[in-house]
Amino acid sequence: MAIGERAMLSNGRLSREERCALLAAATADELIELADICLAEGPDPVVVVAPEVGCVSAQVREPIVRQRFLIGDVLACRAEVELDGVRGWAMRLGDDRAAALAMAVLDAAAESGRDAAGGIARLCERVAARMRCEEAEEWAQLAPTIVEFEEL
Amino acid sequence: MGYSGVRGGMSAILAAEGLVRRARDHAATPWASTEQILLRFRLAVDRIMGEAGLYDEAIAADAFRQAEGDVLEAAHLVRAHRSTLPRLAVSEPVEPAEMVVLRRIVSAHRTPGGPQLLGRTTDYTGRLLERPDGPPPAADDAGAQVPPERTCEQRHPGRFSDLLRELDLLVEHRHGTAADPEPVDVAREPARPPAPRSAVLASMARAETGALVGLWYRSILGPDGAVHEVTLGELRHGRLPLRVIHPHTGNPVVVGVFRATEAEAIEDLDGADEDRTRFDIGYGMCFGHNERKAIAMANLDIAHRRFGDEGSLEQLLLLTTDGLDSGGFLEHLKLPHYVTFRSMMDRKLAGREARGTDDPNPRLPEPFGKEC
Repeated sequence: MAIGERAMLSNGRLSREERCALLAAATADELIELADICLAEGPDPVVVVAPEVGCVSAQVREPIVRQRFLIGDVLACRAEVELDGVRGWAMRLGDDRAAALAMAVLDAAAESGRDAAGGIARLCERVAARMRCEEAEEWAQLAPTIVEFEEL
Repeated sequence: MGYSGVRGGMSAILAAEGLVRRARDHAATPWASTEQILLRFRLAVDRIMGEAGLYDEAIAADAFRQAEGDVLEAAHLVRAHRSTLPRLAVSEPVEPAEMVVLRRIVSAHRTPGGPQLLGRTTDYTGRLLERPDGPPPAADDAGAQVPPERTCEQRHPGRFSDLLRELDLLVEHRHGTAADPEPVDVAREPARPPAPRSAVLASMARAETGALVGLWYRSILGPDGAVHEVTLGELRHGRLPLRVIHPHTGNPVVVGVFRATEAEAIEDLDGADEDRTRFDIGYGMCFGHNERKAIAMANLDIAHRRFGDEGSLEQLLLLTTDGLDSGGFLEHLKLPHYVTFRSMMDRKLAGREARGTDDPNPRLPEPFGKEC
């Protein structure tokens, strides 16, 4: 089940993992804009782990023998901050350090309750809706290519 | 010039590189942006990601531009870049059943369970060279039609091999969680025969596509005496979620999605010590959309399982299909080998001098290191 679908089913009450997944799919501009708003409401965060670009080794459990193998590495960026005494963590694909730092700020803000206006929840809803919309558009393009060949 | 017995030539080397940079970066034509490459050369980008072993479309596109379209050189650039990066995490095991399919065909069966979804392909139409001056007229927008109702089965279709398993037509290899060895990381430890299956699969996932297809073709033609009758089962291209463990909650969290191509090759078992009433299946998966590679990988996986212990297949798979290994060794031949070759010439001339003596077939000393 796609991330957007799960968020929809959870009826707005996101777990921390669901929120992180949706923030990881948000654009850098969305994250940075909202993080700036959150930061304006209180003291600056302490950067615990500076944004770092690296690899996540992707292991696959193949379905025939059910054995794992490493298909390769995926580029990712992570960061960690402390805001109001609460740790915020972020990891997203790509090498956008500013986006990863902003995402960590938002994770900490959501956990510490600094996001009183509910901007983070609304961003997550917007991202989930966008993912559902993109998937629907994608399916509208793909569906006409379903084929049933006739046997001779 | 650390390799060869020469030095100097720096100004000529820099001038040669300057020719490349000027012609490539300042050609009298609009700059090929990363986005342009991503959208118009997606298969080359995907191939680079797979052969480099690093999934990042923008980096692969930039490498494609820097390498002037040389896919192997681009994969080399990306793999070298990857070697400078820290490892942030190892993902939770990706379950292929979670793939959101963009294309899915099963050529072995008309109704395999779930749709036969052709997706974005020209496989079933004639392809002739087109040379338009600009973008040709837009094709009919298939998306304008009302799509059939979307179901979970359509985006996550069942697996044809599961159907064969239900019919008890498949050799069972699953032995529970007890047999779940840690996967070998071929990026850190080169795999050498005999190697666990995870090393073989990982090596094939980042092998050079042409080398893998060539080795597969050799395996089905049978010069090694192992003839295969293989049918393609699943062939899929789609998106998969990548999860890592959240450091504060200890639960898996999706950090993004990547695209992959997956194939299953069904083999008709016919060996004397094999169960001829059942089929066996080989598996292939690689980054991006690269069907030739995934199909070759699946076929070679089953060939390796059946005949890997007998002949040279495992050695060929592990030692000859990496594009950076083979291409790098070939490329090094272009570096100056003056000293090496001069010593060979000297030996020839010395032999000729020796032949001038009474002995019509003088025995020459072996080169250093080759004496028995």
